[in-house]
Amino acid sequence: MTTVLDVQGVRHRYGGTVALDGVDLRVGAGECVALLGPNGAGKTTLVNLVVGLLARQAGTIAIVGGDPRAAASRRELGVVQQSLGFPTTLKVRELVVGAAVRAGRPRSAAGPVLAELGLAELAGRRAVKLSGGQRQRLQLAMALVGDPALLVLDEPTVGLDVAARRSFWGIVAARCARGVGVLVTTHLIEESAGVADRVVVVDKGRVLASGTPDELVAVLPDRTIVATSSLEDSVLAGVPGVLSMTREGRWVRLRTREPEAVLRVLLAADPGLGDLRVEQAGLEEAVVSIGAGV
Amino acid sequence: MSASGVVGRPVGRERGPVGLGRVFVVELVDDLRGIVREPTALFFSIVMPVGFFVLFVSMFGRQNSGMLATFGTFGVLAVTLMNPGMGVAKDRERGWLRAKQVSAVPVWVTLAAKVAASFPYAVGVLVAMAAAAAATGSLSATPWQMARLVVVLLLGAFPFALLGLAVGFRASTNAAAAILNALLMPSAIFSGLWMPLAFLPAFFSHVAPFLPPYHLAQLALAQLQPGDGVLGHALVLVAMTVVSAGLAGLSYRSARP
Repeated sequence: MTTVLDVQGVRHRYGGTVALDGVDLRVGAGECVALLGPNGAGKTTLVNLVVGLLARQAGTIAIVGGDPRAAASRRELGVVQQSLGFPTTLKVRELVVGAAVRAGRPRSAAGPVLAELGLAELAGRRAVKLSGGQRQRLQLAMALVGDPALLVLDEPTVGLDVAARRSFWGIVAARCARGVGVLVTTHLIEESAGVADRVVVVDKGRVLASGTPDELVAVLPDRTIVATSSLEDSVLAGVPGVLSMTREGRWVRLRTREPEAVLRVLLAADPGLGDLRVEQAGLEEAVVSIGAGV
Repeated sequence: MSASGVVGRPVGRERGPVGLGRVFVVELVDDLRGIVREPTALFFSIVMPVGFFVLFVSMFGRQNSGMLATFGTFGVLAVTLMNPGMGVAKDRERGWLRAKQVSAVPVWVTLAAKVAASFPYAVGVLVAMAAAAAATGSLSATPWQMARLVVVLLLGAFPFALLGLAVGFRASTNAAAAILNALLMPSAIFSGLWMPLAFLPAFFSHVAPFLPPYHLAQLALAQLQPGDGVLGHALVLVAMTVVSAGLAGLSYRSARP
């Protein structure tokens, strides 16, 4: 796979405070990588280094093989910020045309992107009059009109409703499928599980874990058996393999690492067993257990 | 993902360099659209200095034909010092400057467009003042002299625009307005831009040569009436350009992303 972003051994400090303490990160063409971590984890510092707003102190960063601060690399880069205040006097089409020209593309590149992102009907409207979801789509249009190899999205869906989020991620996924590499920072863990091919968990300036959402969840062997039961609590808690037992209304919740063995015992011993399901920990629990209190 | 060593752009996507001239035109047109679509700023930038000009020229204009030059200097400085600096402060606050900084275009293109976009205001001020002077019967400048006055003031305003940018990179929009006004007003008065120095206490004439606006006003005056040598005044402005370019550069570099 072609690498569009390669971060190796990056350290960064502000005065005496260490923000990044040796971070490695790679984004391939057509890959969507979510950077997950609590506030102060170092996400913003890393993003500012990648987009060239901060000068590198130690380590290497390459966008399509080039330095992030070189003009040639920046042309491979599209950025969506968390909240961008557009100039009050400019219209949607003018902003996208401006972005096209700044990326060295013809003015005519704006039309197809406006259409693709469902902004064609809003093209004559001033950007400041748009809804939150439309504004983020406009930012995405401005990023995509440059035909970037790498898209950096910094908390792009904060404050958007479900429909706006879904539409935003739909567009990102479509570009990803066409070979654009995506790096997205987010707090929204379950959302990132839906879009990301790979999740990188950072905290205190270090990468704590990296893998597909399924791989991260798999680090948690715990399962929870939920059911209604006619057995006494003490009996349930005594079944071999049950780590702990709680009761929630009609249901009991049994935590275990050997769900099959426990279920065999329960099915044999409990004629009143019903409403049965086995739960796996979600990505949120996995991330918390990895150590990043997102 | 396998850690294959392939680094590079997917094939078939190479392109030529970004045309900085095209970008400058887009940025300038965007800034000018701002003037046309929100004309209140234009109105106040012109009405305020022109109003004062009319007041002062009706009091002193008959004895002093150079007031178009000195008050014109004030009018031009009021827009070229304030507009680019406040524009950049506003863009910084709303994150819009950041959007430009992460683009492939050097940020100076944006800044140059902002300075150029203040020129229509400056020309508007001068034209309105000339019209007011004509209406009050105190206009003695020929069209050729007026043209030279406009060119000299626009060129001479450059170091002041840089100073405005230096403030705009660090201060909030409101603070930038306050700081730039605090620089402009006293230095305008002490440089004799409002009241001719001849009508002010001698103390003012001693202070004025230490203030850059005084030297710009002298260059402007030299376009309307025979004066002493212009070289010294021009050198002061060149020196100020170097200093304020340095300040703007430092200020830009220390601005937080």
